[in-house]
Amino acid sequence: MNLSEISQSVIDGDSSKAAELTKTALDAKVPAEKILEEGLVPAMKTVGELFGKGEYYFPELLLAGEAMKGALAHLRPILGKEGTAYAGKYAIGTVQGDIHDIGKNIIIMMLEANGWEVMDLGVDVPPESFCSAVKEGDFQVLGMSSLLTLTMPHMAETIDALKEAGLRDKVRVMIGGAPVTQSFADKIGADAYGRDAVEAVTKAEALVRKS
Amino acid sequence: MTKLTSLERVFKTLNLQEPDVVPTCELIVDPKVQNVILPDASYEDFVEFMDLDAAVYYEWAYDRYETVDEAKGIIRDKFGVIKRLTTEVDAIPIEAPIKSEKDLDNYTPPDPDVPWKYEALEAAVKRFKGQRPVIATAMDVFYQVNEIRGMYDHFMDVVRNPDLIERLTEIVLDYNLRYIRNCIEVGADIIWVTGDIATTIGPMVSPKHIERFAIRPLKATVDECKSHGVPCLKHTDGNIWSIFDMLVGTGIAGIHPIDPESGMDIGEAKTKYGNRVCLIGNIDCGATLCWGTEEEVRQEVKECIRKAGAGGGLICASSNSIHSGVKPENYVTMVKAIREYGRYPLSL
Repeated sequence: MNLSEISQSVIDGDSSKAAELTKTALDAKVPAEKILEEGLVPAMKTVGELFGKGEYYFPELLLAGEAMKGALAHLRPILGKEGTAYAGKYAIGTVQGDIHDIGKNIIIMMLEANGWEVMDLGVDVPPESFCSAVKEGDFQVLGMSSLLTLTMPHMAETIDALKEAGLRDKVRVMIGGAPVTQSFADKIGADAYGRDAVEAVTKAEALVRKS
Repeated sequence: MTKLTSLERVFKTLNLQEPDVVPTCELIVDPKVQNVILPDASYEDFVEFMDLDAAVYYEWAYDRYETVDEAKGIIRDKFGVIKRLTTEVDAIPIEAPIKSEKDLDNYTPPDPDVPWKYEALEAAVKRFKGQRPVIATAMDVFYQVNEIRGMYDHFMDVVRNPDLIERLTEIVLDYNLRYIRNCIEVGADIIWVTGDIATTIGPMVSPKHIERFAIRPLKATVDECKSHGVPCLKHTDGNIWSIFDMLVGTGIAGIHPIDPESGMDIGEAKTKYGNRVCLIGNIDCGATLCWGTEEEVRQEVKECIRKAGAGGGLICASSNSIHSGVKPENYVTMVKAIREYGRYPLSL
């Protein structure tokens, strides 16, 4: 079974083909983890790179995400039993005043595909709610997303709120979103900036290795 | 040069001629910022106090909407989009009215001819006519369709079901053109189309889809404005290098904000497009205007004018808006610095 065909169907955004090929592979006794690691994860990495280079846009990214979801639907029931490499716990939300969730949802998809356990805090999340999540949960990384320039200051407020609550050292903070940049992340004291969904995963892994 | 009126100054600038001083105006000044600078004043009084070169009427701020849940701040706008009010001027969409083809078959668009819609604009025209341009904003058709269909379904449909998006585009364009005609009839001097079509990486959809669903309706809008002798400006955040030619090709008179956080350099834009379009921007409102020192604000204004002010063709403004996070004293410093460094002939 050539897993690159599964990869290509995800890259092409062909949901039915991705699901069908995944089922075929499972029926042919290809391990679920192998399908994930050698078929699906490389596909989303390619899609992320194409998006980052400006060759893929939101429609292509979302279609690939749908194809990935279709394939994962066949794998999830099995992966739980076989066990994937567990990466850690990640909480993510869109900041206060902003209820765009498309970028956040794509990142959740990529993180879960790479073995992360993700808690989706939703949208329009005020600093105190981020703090509560960090206090009560056991997250390695807290992700904040913003699609509006004017909501970016809430990321700084959240970091300040974590410091005031004595929680800043409990979690690594990553930020991202359309108007967000590395220089902004440096200015507000975030631990990492994820330019796109692929970087969100690789930098999350790097943050955990640093801890 | 003798001192020009703001109207003369802005129109000279939009015509890519050198005025007496670089003009300045903003798409939005958050009432919280305005109220610190000039407490309990009207927007019109604030414009005069700051001597801003245009009074801008942001359509959403003067619209009416239906309350769905007062306690949670949930409303339904004129297009049927369910939104949540926030602490900022804009409300955020949370639910789209068009969930299916059938919803579109049964959809009734809003009526742009309701008289109350133009009351604030009429009052502004009365107050400022002949002295300061009155600018009416209109939502970008692509952006409006995104709200009406829902972001996720809109982007998917651009590829999966473009005919549905085409139908929605025509509905919104029809509304926009009628609304704009009304604004011009009431006396608006300039139309400013707002609504992002790009992110920090690039356009939200491919150039082929941008051309079909964003550029084509924008050109129709510009043509409508031009048929009345009114210039049309376009706002979009994001990295627009790959679609700059297309945008300028519609005939827009000005483009805002040349987003510095998205890899857009206003000097480069001036070199490549300064002979075709007025640049409006691009003092950083994500960091400098929020946390910068007054000296940092002054230096950024000086650099912006140095890069893009030669020969006219620059309206110096923020890189998005004067939102609630902007330090009021930094905005005052910015405007003062524009007057100081923007006097022609420039000596920077």
